[in-house]
Amino acid sequence: MTRPWLRWLPAALVPVALAAAALAGSYQAGAATSLPHKTAEEVIAMIGRADVHSLSGTLLQSSELGLPQLPSVGPTATQGPASVIELLSGSHTARVYLDGPAKARFQVMDLLAERDLVRNGNDLWLYNSADNSAAHMTMPAEPARTAAPHATPTPGVTTPDVVAQHFLAAVGPTTDVTVGDGTTVAGHTAYQLVIKPRSTGTLVDSVTIAVDSASGLPLGVDVRARGQAAAAFSLSFTELSLSTPDAALFSFTPPPGAAVEEKATPQLRALPGKTGQAPQAKAAADRPTITGTGWDAVMALPAGTVPADVRSAPTLTQLTQPVAGGRALTTSLVTVLMLDDGRVFAGMVPLERLQSAAATK
Amino acid sequence: MASELSVLFRRLRTWAMLLALAAIPILIAAAVKLSSHPVAPGRGPPFLDRITQNGLFVGVTAMIVSVPLFLPLTIGVVAGDTIAGEANLGTLRYLLVAPAGRVRLLLIKYAAAAAFCLAATLTVAAAGAMAGVALFPVGPVTLLSGDTIGVGESVVRSLLIAAYIAVSLLGLSAIGLAISTFTDVPVGAMAATIVLSVVSQVADNLPQLEWLHPWLFSHYWLGFADLLRQPISWTSFGDNALLQAGYIVAAGALAYGKFTSKDVLS
Repeated sequence: MTRPWLRWLPAALVPVALAAAALAGSYQAGAATSLPHKTAEEVIAMIGRADVHSLSGTLLQSSELGLPQLPSVGPTATQGPASVIELLSGSHTARVYLDGPAKARFQVMDLLAERDLVRNGNDLWLYNSADNSAAHMTMPAEPARTAAPHATPTPGVTTPDVVAQHFLAAVGPTTDVTVGDGTTVAGHTAYQLVIKPRSTGTLVDSVTIAVDSASGLPLGVDVRARGQAAAAFSLSFTELSLSTPDAALFSFTPPPGAAVEEKATPQLRALPGKTGQAPQAKAAADRPTITGTGWDAVMALPAGTVPADVRSAPTLTQLTQPVAGGRALTTSLVTVLMLDDGRVFAGMVPLERLQSAAATK
Repeated sequence: MASELSVLFRRLRTWAMLLALAAIPILIAAAVKLSSHPVAPGRGPPFLDRITQNGLFVGVTAMIVSVPLFLPLTIGVVAGDTIAGEANLGTLRYLLVAPAGRVRLLLIKYAAAAAFCLAATLTVAAAGAMAGVALFPVGPVTLLSGDTIGVGESVVRSLLIAAYIAVSLLGLSAIGLAISTFTDVPVGAMAATIVLSVVSQVADNLPQLEWLHPWLFSHYWLGFADLLRQPISWTSFGDNALLQAGYIVAAGALAYGKFTSKDVLS
């Protein structure tokens, strides 16, 4: 007991060591790697040539849109219309399994619950464990394809690949494309393709796509909004293996006791289980119209496409603010204007542009 | 070590706590059995509506219900009592007269508390399984992913969940042990441990403290649902084990610092 302070030494050193280990781990994960130089065109061509037929991986999606955080108290918070908005804030983990163009499984992992999408051939199953309900759809028979699955994804399976294709489609004369530092995503070295719109009419500052240096598969997408340091939307793999997943994963039979519903044409573009968005067969007049091109395009939905109960959901009223003639949802990346006459305008543009688009109609 | 365990498990208090824990699944099973209204899906604790179809869900539901409060409560009582209880009874100095060493005493006390973690979770799981089998039909179990597994595999998964929860509580036990070395009043150490577990869970639900969440020892407490997916997702099991190990080392170092430099007068 000559030097009692020595005995306190571990108590002081251990937290420091733990913090250092944690910091070193996260630093290593994002460390820059050196890759053979490639031009932006070559990287885009790599994505086009990507020939990944099967993969299994874990995805992490997070949004930082500047919306007020909804309290997530317990597993019941993810039910009802709130779950649409739930995707706008916070983070989500999902597992994705693909085997060829016709077999896919997508699992959105909620706290103590899970939403599943299983596709095997022309059969498409949706399952939601929170209320033990399943829905079955038959995909329209399609001509045999030779393309890799990333060319024509199963509806509802949101991978970085699908999101990247969406942004790559917007690459044009109004866009700057550069290649950033090499990075590592889920243990794969990757090129970073940085897409920067030149137009000042959009809220998007830049889009970063991490492209696997070996296979050309997009591994992650970060969308940055103007005037915000953190990525407003990010979707990337945290684990990825390019081997063929177990075939048993793609055979789904609804569990006993589940409420099974037969649904018509699969037209969902959303995650499974997101409210009862019944995919309605839309008449041609109900189709959204898109004005403008590229980054500052505005999508307009005619009256009647958004159900009244969704519009008046309390969580939605909480998030939107009243503007002249309706309500607006303004985030750092996307703006939605819902007019009282039922029309809805949306786009990655400031609110003023939506209002002027609404006025010209 | 053996004598420490026999002291722990011969106490009336330990048995009372284990009995109270066993009563939770029995209460749930009886309430669902006796209620005339079928439970609507999505109401009440998760899986409650599945119990009538499959008795094996009683254990899982009971574990979900007991993780936030009942289990931390009993762990707090056992872990908070470890050193402070001996000091309060005046038996601590007799323990230290034996040439065993203070570090060894700490380790043995902690091992006994860890054994109680395992006993407590297994009690809930076993009582749940028994109540479920007695009152409800038993059949294939539906996982969160919608796949079904047989009875045998569901027993394995239940044991895995019990192991997960026992591991989750190890960090809290270590914190309780550390607090216990700072006081001679066992009730104070117990209360402080339980309050800490509640504070940690409240902080885990505040979105404003999101940066802190992965560091809270209760952050992965409900993550055992990942063992009910198909295929099993081991990520949260590993993250949880790592986090709890961190808390054990940190709280253990604190307990070592206090206990070895402490003047034991009682």
